[in-house]
Amino acid sequence: MLTFILGFLATCGIGLSAFLLLNEFKTKVAIERRERDSARRIYELAILREIGDRIGYSLDVTQIVDIITSSLHQFIEYAAVSYMIIEPEKVMFKMHLERSVHRRFVTDVRDRMLSSLGALLDREFKKDDVKEILSGAILLEELDEPVSSFFNIPLVIGDKVVGVLTVSDTKSGLYKEEEMTILYKLIQQASKAVTSLQAVVKAEQEKVSAMVESMEDGVVMTDADYRILVINPAAKRIIGKEGQKDITIFDFIDNLGGKMDMRGRLEESVKLKKNYVSERFDINGKFYQAFVLPVKTETKLNADDVLGGVVIFHDVTREVELERVREDFTSMIVHELRTPLSGIQKTSELLKLPAKKGSGPQTKKFVDLIYQNSSGMLDLVNDILDAAKLQAGKFEVQLGPTDINDILENRKQFFEVSAGDRHIKLETLVSKDLPKNIPLDQQRIKQVLNNLMSNALKYTPDGGSVTVSAFVHDPASSVATETAKLRLALPSPLPENAFPANKHSLVVAVSDSGIGIAADLMPRLFNKFQQLNNAAFVSNIKGTGLGLAIAKGIVEGHGGNIGVVSQIGSGSAFYFVIPFNDTLLTPKA
Amino acid sequence: MRKILVIDDDQTFRELISSGVDKNKYAVATAADGVQGLEEFTKNKPDLILLDIMMPRMNGVEFLEKMKEAHGEQKVPIIITSNDSSLDTISRGAELGVRGYIVKSNESMKTIMASIERVFTESEK
Repeated sequence: MLTFILGFLATCGIGLSAFLLLNEFKTKVAIERRERDSARRIYELAILREIGDRIGYSLDVTQIVDIITSSLHQFIEYAAVSYMIIEPEKVMFKMHLERSVHRRFVTDVRDRMLSSLGALLDREFKKDDVKEILSGAILLEELDEPVSSFFNIPLVIGDKVVGVLTVSDTKSGLYKEEEMTILYKLIQQASKAVTSLQAVVKAEQEKVSAMVESMEDGVVMTDADYRILVINPAAKRIIGKEGQKDITIFDFIDNLGGKMDMRGRLEESVKLKKNYVSERFDINGKFYQAFVLPVKTETKLNADDVLGGVVIFHDVTREVELERVREDFTSMIVHELRTPLSGIQKTSELLKLPAKKGSGPQTKKFVDLIYQNSSGMLDLVNDILDAAKLQAGKFEVQLGPTDINDILENRKQFFEVSAGDRHIKLETLVSKDLPKNIPLDQQRIKQVLNNLMSNALKYTPDGGSVTVSAFVHDPASSVATETAKLRLALPSPLPENAFPANKHSLVVAVSDSGIGIAADLMPRLFNKFQQLNNAAFVSNIKGTGLGLAIAKGIVEGHGGNIGVVSQIGSGSAFYFVIPFNDTLLTPKA
Repeated sequence: MRKILVIDDDQTFRELISSGVDKNKYAVATAADGVQGLEEFTKNKPDLILLDIMMPRMNGVEFLEKMKEAHGEQKVPIIITSNDSSLDTISRGAELGVRGYIVKSNESMKTIMASIERVFTESEK
């Protein structure tokens, strides 16, 4: 019994220890498996990372699949790894043999791959379309073993099947779930990388092409054989081929007409990697400067390889125009200063001659000439200084209570002599309700009136008339009523919108019965140097062309605005409007 | 009495010539632009014309063209007196048969007067 018990106990003990042992074994197995699993996972990760790194930023599917297949034997057993990729005109079939096989093995795998590719894409491929490349072990006639294990993975990039990848062997029962999972992951990762990379590249390309498209500069890129790869609308516009497709370098050569040797400069850029900046040249009335640059690759493999050239046409028309205006202005100033200076010099030369009998009136005449010429020069210098102030944006006015009627009468007297010489009727017309204490810069307003009145006299034929008028504009009334009340005849009514809507304002107008101004010229009249920019003016009227620009600056310095209405043949009216405080008005009874 | 016609928009120059010449030898008529110049030419039949180039209404070159149109070869000697010293204008003037070219601001009254004298002494030979 005891033996039994002992035996039982022993058995139990054995059983227990056996139980314990079994448990221990199980744990050990579990640990081992876990270790193996984690080792495998680490390995897997390491391979994935390695392959990922090697794939890098390649966009070439073939290159990526080559990288994957060359690393695959590290963790999957196969006699052959192969891939099939659809290319524009053929199907590329590439197989790498780890072991020698029979030719039939290769053909069998190839046919199976082609049919699964056809099934995936729902398309029929001909066997003749396949371009085959074999590598690795040699084919052997005596090893006639069939394909016993075969596993196919579709290669998908951006939701599109681009090919299949296959592992195959003569041994059966290979390619269990575990290995295939790794393969799937690999392919997935590669596919994901390429897909996202393609998206990035596409977005970048779109950005670049949108930029090139919308650039104002003309951009033309050619390959190393000077075939145009990229051309933007601006470049087409320059040679007058807007909207035309298929533009070649000859279109440019024809239109440049030898002004810039585009072909020769591109050749220099491509062959000698030289940058070139052209002189200015003109095509179809516009001026350009061309930049020719080589296009280099930046991959490490082919550092500094020249792919072609880029020509950028930079529009410099505006600069050329500005330069011209500046040159014209300078030569105008020189001319306008030289004439009176030379007059003064010659007058004094005559004055230096020994006095003749009865030289009294002669001397007075010469002194008058010197006085006139030096006054003219002083006016010109003052105009230039004023224009410089305008340019610097600091036209300051010194306001003081002013009776505009006094200024008008004063100017009328000043111009009466020259008007009378030419039988021009010079009149003033002032409304009675004008406040006598409007804050104005008297000297500056005189300057404006000098300018407007001398212009009016200049452009009015002998026997005509010039009227200087002033009145108050009431925002509650209309300018038309106010001018009618004053019996002021204007060549054209003043625009109601030129007057402040919530304040009373002083309106001064200088109207004439002169030649009038063409409508298209009016908006530019108050621009600086305008007279110079208009050939019709230059040949007829002398002057700096600064007067109206300065007048505008002065009126704006008073918070007002200046304008003109005109009718060709019947005359012009220049007017300025200066708002003032309603408190200045005499209260109505 | 020789007659000189001064066509120049610069009043000072017109007066300087009028006052500067020997009044016993010369009579001076003046015009402020080409249009007036043509009028004065018909009215006064001058023996010499001093002609400015840059003038309003009708400039000197236009005046020369009009003269050639109306009278064929320039029979009356013309001296251009201008500050425009561009080659274009000078050669255009030569084409249109002018006798001399004086850049006003570069020359003294004495030289200008001497040029006037020379034209007459040459034409007398």
